[in-house]
Amino acid sequence: MSVHAKRTWTGAVRDRAVSALPPEKLLADKQPSYVASWIYVFGVLSLSSLAVIILSGSILALKGPGWWHFTGVGHFFNSIHLWSVELFFFFMVIHLWGKYWMAAWRGGRARVWITGAVTFLVAIPCALTGYVSQQNFDSQWISTQAKDAINASGLGAFFNLLNFGQMYSYHVLLLPAAVVALVIAHVLLVRNHGVVPPFRLADKLPAVAEPATVDGGAAGPEASS
Amino acid sequence: MAAIFNLNHHASYVHWHFIQLSVSNVIVIVLMLIVFAAAIFLPFPHHRDSEELS
Amino acid sequence: MTRRERRRREDESYRTWNGSYRRYDLVKEASIAFGVILALTVVLTILFSSPDEHPSTVQSWSHGDPVDFVTTAATELDGSSTSGSYGPPYNHASGSVQHAWFLHPQRWFGVSHPVNSAQDFVLAPLRAITGQPALQSAVSTYETASANQQAAWTSAYEKGLNKASATSAGSISVPTGNYGPLTTMMPALLTFAQSGGLDGALLTSKQFYQTDYTKPLLFMADGGVLSNRAQAEHLLGSQWGIMNETGSYPGQVWLWLYTFWYQIAPFQGANADILVLLVMGALSLAFMLVPFLPGIRDIPRWIPIYKLIWRVHYRAASARTAAPTSS
Repeated sequence: MSVHAKRTWTGAVRDRAVSALPPEKLLADKQPSYVASWIYVFGVLSLSSLAVIILSGSILALKGPGWWHFTGVGHFFNSIHLWSVELFFFFMVIHLWGKYWMAAWRGGRARVWITGAVTFLVAIPCALTGYVSQQNFDSQWISTQAKDAINASGLGAFFNLLNFGQMYSYHVLLLPAAVVALVIAHVLLVRNHGVVPPFRLADKLPAVAEPATVDGGAAGPEASS
Repeated sequence: MAAIFNLNHHASYVHWHFIQLSVSNVIVIVLMLIVFAAAIFLPFPHHRDSEELS
Repeated sequence: MTRRERRRREDESYRTWNGSYRRYDLVKEASIAFGVILALTVVLTILFSSPDEHPSTVQSWSHGDPVDFVTTAATELDGSSTSGSYGPPYNHASGSVQHAWFLHPQRWFGVSHPVNSAQDFVLAPLRAITGQPALQSAVSTYETASANQQAAWTSAYEKGLNKASATSAGSISVPTGNYGPLTTMMPALLTFAQSGGLDGALLTSKQFYQTDYTKPLLFMADGGVLSNRAQAEHLLGSQWGIMNETGSYPGQVWLWLYTFWYQIAPFQGANADILVLLVMGALSLAFMLVPFLPGIRDIPRWIPIYKLIWRVHYRAASARTAAPTSS
């Protein structure tokens, strides 16, 4: 930790960040030996799907919302965008199933679960604003139907699904920014806390609250990972 | 740019009591369950050169 | 030791891992995953592309079903259409205002996107048509008549429209009746719509640059043009349409629980939307707070799928325990 005569805000932020996420945790090149199942790949598959969504969405945004209706290349990138969204939800839900059955919130990891859950919940209106920004029959139908639910909640006073300009702004900037911020928080929390250890199969608890070890049993000296 | 399989035709639907699902959606759901089960049951490769570190 | 202490101690023991590690290449794994997803997306795109069904327009609607168009326009004129009688955020009516017990959020937030169905969908567009003094005179006659007289004309016209039919020329034939100035106004509106002028008039009524399609969409949604297409594509609520996509494309499978509620009582009445939102809001909160919910958080322990997931680890651990220790 750096020593300053008078502690600066920058120094305080840096010290806290490095303490929570030292480089060997942030970009680890080792992982616990129990991480040995294909179920562990669905987080990175969801992340990769999100990356393809953002890249293809950026190309669609470069040429404006009407482009994809009139050119083959535009339609190609619209298709990439649609299928990467389908893959994102596909892999994210399987990731969720895996994490639930592992009770991955154990050992102080509740925030990891919460950020993941909120990411899923925010991704849904992000997708909805995308569907109503397509400027085709699908958008017409989805917006005129969903507006009734939004209006019933009172949010219709602020969020008009029939207003293409507003929906496009939410879809291209505001909601993706929220999803990305949540995903970053989620991933950094995983790197900070580490991947949750397996349930202990032994019936008895250790004598004191000792960390989980390779045999799932009793104490070992506590070491930082 | 035409697709190899044209999906721009009316979908088929599966009806079970009051549940109605398109065949496409049923395929997605079944695929998810298969992939989940496969991820759990398929053996994960353990390379000899990734030795255990303490 | 109380159960709570026991649980807390057990949970604390999972905080850190003191066992063995294995070499792992995070950047390589992420790169491979990205490549796999990119390849998969490109393959799906080449195989299936994506849907793009052309939007309906007021023009296409008025050509395709002129009777429905004129009937809808008549209900906009007397305010009996869905939009005309909607309530907040469009107007102060109450036809589509929902509430749940003491919760009236739709009313609380008031009228934020004012829509006057008679003015916006019929009278103002007709006023924009120039070079037709007889039409302008008819509109003036309607506007200056009493409310009762206006209601009598629109009511009679709507009755007549029940027996109307489309002509080969694209207009409609309505049985004669006491319709007052509507006999001039409504065919003029139909002609204006069929020319494409009404689409533009509805969109640019406020300003030149416009991205707000509220008016043309509300107008079309009041008629049958969108719902007829939707029914053919299995997109109606009663068809579990929230989950579906046009054509045979996979849709939004993740919305299964949201759309499920709409299929069962009591989520099928006038307050269906707010009730479903409340239920899904509560379930979403519970979903976020799973780590804190007794029972829900214990199911993974009771149904030990984790034994399959970590079977390699447990086998290695029991092998180590069984191996004789060296002294």
